[in-house]
Amino acid sequence: MSLALATLIHEWRRYTAAVVALAFSGLLILAQVGMFVGIVKGVTATIDRSRADLMILPAKMESLINSGGGNLPGRLQPQIYMHPDVAEVASWDIEGGRWVNRPPEGQKAVTTYVNIYMVDTRPNAVTLPVDYSEQVRQALMEPYAVAIDETQLKRLGVKLGDSASLNGKTVRVRAVLTGYPNINNAAVVASRDTIRLLGFMADESKTGPLMVRLKDPARAEIVRDQLNANANGAYRAWTREELRKADEGALMGEQIIGIFIGFSVFLGFLIGVGITSQTLRGAILSSIKEFASLRALGVSMGALRLIVMELSIWVGLVGLVATGLLTFGIYLLAANGGLPMGFPTPWVIGVSILLIAISCASGLLALGILKKSQPADLLR
Amino acid sequence: MSANPTAIEAHGVYKRFKTGRTHIEVLKRVDFDARHGEVTMVMGPSGSGKSTLVAALSGLLKPDEGQVRALDTDIWSLRSGKLDRFRLDHCGFIFQGFNLFSALTALQQVEIILKHQGHSKSVAREKAALALDEVGLGKRLHQRPAELSGGEKQRVAIARALAKDPRLVFADEPTSALDGENGQIVIRLLQRAAKQHGAAVICVTHDPRLEAYADRIIHLEDGQILEDRRAAEPAQSAADRRPEPALLGA
Repeated sequence: MSLALATLIHEWRRYTAAVVALAFSGLLILAQVGMFVGIVKGVTATIDRSRADLMILPAKMESLINSGGGNLPGRLQPQIYMHPDVAEVASWDIEGGRWVNRPPEGQKAVTTYVNIYMVDTRPNAVTLPVDYSEQVRQALMEPYAVAIDETQLKRLGVKLGDSASLNGKTVRVRAVLTGYPNINNAAVVASRDTIRLLGFMADESKTGPLMVRLKDPARAEIVRDQLNANANGAYRAWTREELRKADEGALMGEQIIGIFIGFSVFLGFLIGVGITSQTLRGAILSSIKEFASLRALGVSMGALRLIVMELSIWVGLVGLVATGLLTFGIYLLAANGGLPMGFPTPWVIGVSILLIAISCASGLLALGILKKSQPADLLR
Repeated sequence: MSANPTAIEAHGVYKRFKTGRTHIEVLKRVDFDARHGEVTMVMGPSGSGKSTLVAALSGLLKPDEGQVRALDTDIWSLRSGKLDRFRLDHCGFIFQGFNLFSALTALQQVEIILKHQGHSKSVAREKAALALDEVGLGKRLHQRPAELSGGEKQRVAIARALAKDPRLVFADEPTSALDGENGQIVIRLLQRAAKQHGAAVICVTHDPRLEAYADRIIHLEDGQILEDRRAAEPAQSAADRRPEPALLGA
């Protein structure tokens, strides 16, 4: 075992401050990333859990974030059916409407804009999420029925069985969903028929994006490429996974989120380096005589610097593990509250690199203290 | 005795320190030499410059003037990297404080130097165990400093200094933090380094009890050598007196 590692293990109390500082720096960033990605998950949950293998979007759309579904010409649907691997095609839509609840006497009404997500209620329909129970499916078959995620009931001021006004028409809450939170917008789910009854999708010549189920899901990428080859700029086919990543990327690319996270990175770096370098300096100073005796015995200054850098990297790695544990704790807490979080690999790698960079920078800042290891001072 | 070859030869070593606006001359052009196989004691009151002399002889503190030849090398003409290497290869140091890393076991304290010297892990381990065995700590290889007594700690420090079989051993008040019994063990170990391994041992002390173990005693006062004499009684008889194994095993 190296001197650096042995010191870290034996005197772990001394390094706790640095490890905690690193862990919170990492958590500060990862928790935000997790939350923002969670928003995307909320937005796209209906697609992620649909039976679709491919999604067909307008050609120039880069994601579903902030652009809704967009419009495709109605003639596209039969055209996609022409492909021999395609089992089912259905248009899918997110509409928006004005929601007003019916509060009990003496309370203020909730008036808000809601997203209306569309599903087909036929068993095994491509647009019907796989985790909808038979009960939910049947409930949605009723005209003017809507389903609402449990986390949204309070926000929309309703409970199961209540009625409310949506776009001026009366709808009834017939089912409560779990696992479809959306902290960005309030959202309800309704059947295609109900959406038509509410006055949407009147123009038959246009549809929303298309969901495509294949006979063999394993061929998704091949079929996607074949469809795209024949698109002539009219549409673009995406695999579900590809679209999920694009949605994530689009949200994280939003300016305000960039500012949030950029600032957190800056703050995390500053605090991390500040505390970690001070901790390392203190630790080195406390064994400065030992270092000086190594210098006397001929161990070079360069070798001592390497020991300090090794120590700081170990501190960084322990901080990384602590970050992982804390983030996992936050994730469990959020999951318990019905809030999804997501941690895309590039961000996890990025934060890991950041933490190691913080500990290396701290190590570099702490190197100066080694100058005090003057072996001649031991001869007193 | 005088047939022993010269290990260190210093001429006109001069060093002064600045304190406020004045300078204090700590070493006033001292000439010095020490031989292999001998324990040379440098004695004198505090402030006499003995520690500074040892620092200058061992390559730790550059004198303002003068020349130090150690093992036929003009050490103060070496660049700092070369000087580090010279100390790594040839010099052992024992200080008043033990300066052991609290996180490392006795074996690891010794190994770390041997590894820096370029020995492989297994060789370093073997040599370290041997050195600790030689100072009577063969059974305490895996204890950390907190589990060792003061005397044992100093013996670990001695093993660390001697494991690489240095030609020059410098000791600065090695016994002043120890009781009489442990002090005796330590000085005998230093004597053994000189007699059995042929090292030149230069020991700074103001403990008169150690005189008995010296081959040569140099008295320093006010930065000048007052007296330089061979031990009245040859060191041999001191060696005869050693009832060692019992003590060392303690």
